[in-house]
Amino acid sequence: MSFLFRCENIGKTYGGVVALKDVSLNLESGQVHGLIGPNGAGKSTFIDVVSGRTPGLGRVFFEDREITGISPSAMRRAGISRSFQRTSIFPALTVRDQIELANHGAGGGNTDELVEMLGLGAVLDTEAEQISYGQQRLVDLALALVGNPRVLLLDEPAAGLSAPESAVLSGHLEEIAERWNVAVLLVEHDMDVIFRVCKVLTVLASGRFLVQGTPADLRNNPAVIEAYFGSTA
Amino acid sequence: MANQTLAHSFRESPILRPSGLIVLAILTATVAILTVTGSRITLSLLAQATIISILALSVGFLARTADLISFGHAAPFGLGAYGTALVFQHGIPAEVGIWLVLVAVFALFFLIGLVVGKLNGIAFSMLTLALGQFFFVAISKLRAITSGADGLTVSLPRSLFGLPGRTYQTPDGMFIIAAVILAALVILIYLFEASRTGRLAIGVRENEERVLFLGYRTKILKAAVFATSATIAGVSGVLFALYQGFVSPEIVHWSFSGNALIMAILGGSLAVWGPVAGALVFFFLREWLSDLTEHWLAVLGVILIAVTVAWPGGMTGVAKVLRARISGRGRKGGGK
Repeated sequence: MSFLFRCENIGKTYGGVVALKDVSLNLESGQVHGLIGPNGAGKSTFIDVVSGRTPGLGRVFFEDREITGISPSAMRRAGISRSFQRTSIFPALTVRDQIELANHGAGGGNTDELVEMLGLGAVLDTEAEQISYGQQRLVDLALALVGNPRVLLLDEPAAGLSAPESAVLSGHLEEIAERWNVAVLLVEHDMDVIFRVCKVLTVLASGRFLVQGTPADLRNNPAVIEAYFGSTA
Repeated sequence: MANQTLAHSFRESPILRPSGLIVLAILTATVAILTVTGSRITLSLLAQATIISILALSVGFLARTADLISFGHAAPFGLGAYGTALVFQHGIPAEVGIWLVLVAVFALFFLIGLVVGKLNGIAFSMLTLALGQFFFVAISKLRAITSGADGLTVSLPRSLFGLPGRTYQTPDGMFIIAAVILAALVILIYLFEASRTGRLAIGVRENEERVLFLGYRTKILKAAVFATSATIAGVSGVLFALYQGFVSPEIVHWSFSGNALIMAILGGSLAVWGPVAGALVFFFLREWLSDLTEHWLAVLGVILIAVTVAWPGGMTGVAKVLRARISGRGRKGGGK
């Protein structure tokens, strides 16, 4: 089977410390793939390495073409987009200005649809620093989605959101994957979001691959429970 | 959406807000009164202040657009001034020569920007300080070209850019010329900020990594912003040379850059007009204090420290607070 986005033997070492070792993962169009694990498991490092934010080991393929080591801007123009663990927007620009900026940089097309889907119409002409944190997270998601990316790497998009806001976000993620046929890699600590939207889960522990399966398979997996809680008891 | 945004940004441009118009009106009225009633010395001060406010504008533009503090903007200022002097000394047609000087300043500082643009914060400031001093030493030592510490005189032709040459060396003539150029530059900066490229520059200032992950390359843009800022300083240098009729290495010294930076800090960078207002206040405050005491520099230093501590946003910060209070009162009043 040919996957849209393939990551092979991704690794990262900081000094002598191995943060990530030989993690491989494939993404399919229209599917949300969850990447979970306890703190320090290497989830964000994985996204940072494959997106070119930080140098690392391993190989990355998009549509069977190797893209290892290409610049972040080239990756985005190729159709691979990402968000960041911390809200990464432009506080002094209006929501409209930054969506247009993203639209122009990424090759554009879907801004009106995005604004409607994410419910940002009412704050379009407001500077991003003036809107609520939940809305800022949606702007962050909009910036990643502008230009119809084929692959979306999301680093904890629900961080800091309330339960109702996380539920709304989950709905958006399902819609993005299914309606726009995007391959989504979702790093997330909120298990309600993970179990609602992910079709496949990969679990990391201490920088290494632990197990992969469907949410139903992994919900009661002893190895996963041990990785999170230190014991299956 | 694109056209709407451009219109919206221009509408929201601070110069078109009531507070911007009030500031503009106060400045225009003050200048008009001084022009009509002021002595020749006052007019001369006003002309010098307007020329140097263009230098402060260039420093403020860099701080506002790229969040970069330059300690070396005397270098492009000096290159503009020396370039102008050399144009006249070598009999190059001035209308072409002065433009070539400005193009050369842009090109040189674009190349420098490609290197120093990788740096931020203190590292950038220190590198610009070193660069500025490099140009100071080079101009001081290259006696065959610059006459070293003796400086160069600028002999104006009968006519320059359609105006009699002597107009550039009279206080009222130069004040009007410098004020028109300053106004044009301020408007151009506002238009730049309202443009897509301007918003991209603000995006780079606020979150360069995100801009890269939106598919942009930022290196060229950062170098272009640095070079544009340097060219504005170069324009100030050209006017300085035309008005003073003489250039010497002191205008490339780091202390000259420091003065421009002080003016920009005094005015603040929350609005484009901040450094201009800062330069005007600095100039007249310096003149007033130097009449009062020979230790005027110490007094000026204390005032600057007090202003910086009390109003970190400078004059633009004060204006912002006042505007917020007035509009807050207005809203409360409206709600009753």
